[in-house]
Amino acid sequence: MTFLRSSYSTAIVGGGILGLFTAYRLARAGAGPTLVLDRGFLSSGGAGRNGGGVRQQWETRSTVRLARESVEEFRRFGLEFGFNIWFRQGGYLFLARTPEELARLRAVHEVVRAEGLPSEMLTADGVARHLPGVAAGASVGGSYLASDGMLYPFPVVWGLFEAVRSLGVEVALGVDVRGVTRRDGRVAGVDTSQGPVRAAAVVNAAGGWSGDFSRAAGLEVPNLATRHEILATEPMKPFLDPMVVRPSDGLYFSQTMRGELVGGLTVPHPTGTQHGVPSSARFLTSMSTALVGLLPALARIRVLRSWTGFYDDTPDGFPVIGPDPRLPGFFHANGFGGHGLMLAPAASRRIAAAVLGSPVDLDPAEFSIERFLRPRAPASVERLQLG
Amino acid sequence: MAHGPARRFFWRDRPREAPEGATALEALARDGLPALARSYRYHRPRGPFCGVGYCAGCLVRVNGVPNQRACRHVLEEGDRIRNTNGWPSARFDLFGVIDRVFPNGIDTLRGFRRPMFLTPLYQRVIRRLAGYGPVPAAPPTALSPPAPLSVDRDVVVIGAGTSGRAAAARLVARGLRPLLVDRALRVPEAPGSELLPRTNVTFLPPPTPGADPRFQLIGFQEPDRGVVVRARTVVVATGGYDAGLLFADNDRPGIFSAEGALAISASDRSRVFRRAVLVGGGERAGQILDRLSERVTAVVTPGEIRPEVVRAASDADIPLYPRTLLLGTRGTGRVRGVHLRARGSGPSFRLGCDAVILAHRRLPNPQLLFQAGAQMSWRSGTGAYYPVLDSTLSTTVARLYAVGTVAGVLSESAAVSGVRAADALAGDPSPASELPRVAESEPHELDGYYRELKPWLRSGRPVVCPCEDVLLRDVEAAHERGYLGVEVVKRYTGLGTGLCQGRYCLPDALLLLAILEGRPPSEVGFMTQRPPVVATPLEALAAIEEPVAAEASP
Repeated sequence: MTFLRSSYSTAIVGGGILGLFTAYRLARAGAGPTLVLDRGFLSSGGAGRNGGGVRQQWETRSTVRLARESVEEFRRFGLEFGFNIWFRQGGYLFLARTPEELARLRAVHEVVRAEGLPSEMLTADGVARHLPGVAAGASVGGSYLASDGMLYPFPVVWGLFEAVRSLGVEVALGVDVRGVTRRDGRVAGVDTSQGPVRAAAVVNAAGGWSGDFSRAAGLEVPNLATRHEILATEPMKPFLDPMVVRPSDGLYFSQTMRGELVGGLTVPHPTGTQHGVPSSARFLTSMSTALVGLLPALARIRVLRSWTGFYDDTPDGFPVIGPDPRLPGFFHANGFGGHGLMLAPAASRRIAAAVLGSPVDLDPAEFSIERFLRPRAPASVERLQLG
Repeated sequence: MAHGPARRFFWRDRPREAPEGATALEALARDGLPALARSYRYHRPRGPFCGVGYCAGCLVRVNGVPNQRACRHVLEEGDRIRNTNGWPSARFDLFGVIDRVFPNGIDTLRGFRRPMFLTPLYQRVIRRLAGYGPVPAAPPTALSPPAPLSVDRDVVVIGAGTSGRAAAARLVARGLRPLLVDRALRVPEAPGSELLPRTNVTFLPPPTPGADPRFQLIGFQEPDRGVVVRARTVVVATGGYDAGLLFADNDRPGIFSAEGALAISASDRSRVFRRAVLVGGGERAGQILDRLSERVTAVVTPGEIRPEVVRAASDADIPLYPRTLLLGTRGTGRVRGVHLRARGSGPSFRLGCDAVILAHRRLPNPQLLFQAGAQMSWRSGTGAYYPVLDSTLSTTVARLYAVGTVAGVLSESAAVSGVRAADALAGDPSPASELPRVAESEPHELDGYYRELKPWLRSGRPVVCPCEDVLLRDVEAAHERGYLGVEVVKRYTGLGTGLCQGRYCLPDALLLLAILEGRPPSEVGFMTQRPPVVATPLEALAAIEEPVAAEASP
């Protein structure tokens, strides 16, 4: 295939949820011709591999604000995009195994409360009310926010895909983007497996591959692709409302509308996209151990399938949003560390604003790539990196 | 069915008896076709189909544990068995009205969006109606969890069919002591081999380069004992299974795969069916005629028919309908007849029957080979992937062999292939001079069949994916909206994401999408294997210790 035009205002690298959402914002704002490029098929990357969680409990107020705005957008998604994403606000339940972990959850709780969201601290009994059948002694307490929830990522992709196409955005699938072409020290376009294409702005929304792409463009970035695995059980009748997260081992799971239990757990893997995404025995066994340990009644429930995907991690756990000062015309929309879906509605608005040169209400110290270019430690570190 | 002292069990709280060793399905099918379950979305009647633990047709609740396959559950004294979905019962289900009220299906992708304030209500109702069994009220007691089985062996042969047994016997003759693993509930002894029956190998990752060169096979022994086997060499002899077929109301109770028909009518006194329409004219259909000819009322073949099948059918006075389209079934609750049409411009007609047996196509079980990273190639003749093999039946992964059906070997050469691999892995490939015969690659006859059938699939409900109740019109709608390729259509419609892991829908969906998209099936996409091969109890996996082949740390 070839491209419909030889020149675009913006080329977005990555046709996942963040890339498509950004294309949608740009098209709605009347930006010039936009091209979205993706190496795979629709939903082949993180967009189709995540657990669907959407939460507003974060360690910094700026992230809580982005998440809160995103929740409102997801509530209205069906009306705006014509697809039902089944955004179910069943709450997010964070579990603590030790008093120290509980103290950390309390710190988050204070931040979330300060933003006006009614999060609650729970005792072990309170945890049991939201998590029926929880093993005795499995937690010392937790935190909970009822308006958090979960959705089906696929219809988010379909809704965005159809919306951007009807707005005239070109979506080119199965195209590898190999690098950026430059002229006069700024972005002139991208070099692809289908030949070069001109673009005044390039947005790196390549998810797990965004570190690779920035580096291919000659920009050193700290983004690291880390492999994460998920499993799904056979479908059951509804028994669990919230998304359950245990930060100590990265365990998280929820029950989908279809009734499957879907979730993951952190196990060590080699980093980098070159290792591919094979499933591991260690994940299957340790995830099963964690689930049965927490909810013993699930012992004989069966694992139906497992799959893997990449998180796009940054050293401080915060995303990278905005222009790269080293290469005018190059914009970052990456480093979301497994949270791209849940922050995409709000983040994409800032990314589009940056591309259009409009004011962006984000603190560069928190979100700009510049924070990694200066030889000093970042101000804060996001530790709730899972779920 | 094994015989011995009777076991007492309860079906929907009423006491029943069964011989020792009988499965729940065998026991419940003694008086005819049992109604065990209703489907996932539309509460359509479900009946046993595959008989080998893959499909979602015989899901029951056993002692409070949901989603157990009746065909895989060997009854214990006092077992309490209940239906899955269906109120008050699976036979008479008030929610079955959903299927009648929404003949075109329910659009959960675009429907139920407004008014916004009703979304929590929609979600509550749909969550309740969807899915299979309820989660157990309490953890399993007493015997749980069973200690896992952990063994180390030089050679493991997975599958005790013709080729696997031949490989094992040859290894024994060469002084080796192979471990022979098979998932069947009743496996005949294999002299000299150590036999592990009722054991599903569900995950076979490639060995870690460096530290530990052994394979590590993970699985479970029915019902839920974890199994981990470490082995230097693995022979995959996982054979094949009898495929599904798309026609209107192809999910009615009374429709069986060939394996399912054999399993459910194993006893001479079986009353499950008496007048079956047998679909297929090849080797597998011949085997069914050998075993069940007195219960077959007609033979219908999508394509040509083999001379030996013609002979067997005419010897038994069974009418033959070669080159015939199976348009659909009729009946309420179970199959009472089929609609047929001669291919070309022939007439449509009906036949009365009480069952349909699908023996038209046998497909390989290549999942473990995919998982282990063996190079695979598409063969359009059968419409399936096979491993790339050298002359010793070694795959592209060192010390991983494939023999028999899964290797693409014709059934008359199955034993030869097993022997050849055994000789090679024993370090002496010379004695076996005979090369196993492999099926020729030619355009798949089902492709032309579906092209001709498709315009006729306008009435009734052609169900592309029975596990998830995905209708043909759902797939067509996805295509019309511009979603291309099996991976995307799978995510758009949910087809292939159900309990059978896509075994009974994806091969035919591939042909269907090839027709819709106007390109060859091999280009419509490649379905990645997502472990485990069959659904595996959490408890079995949890019991397995931290795998020895620890991966490199980041």
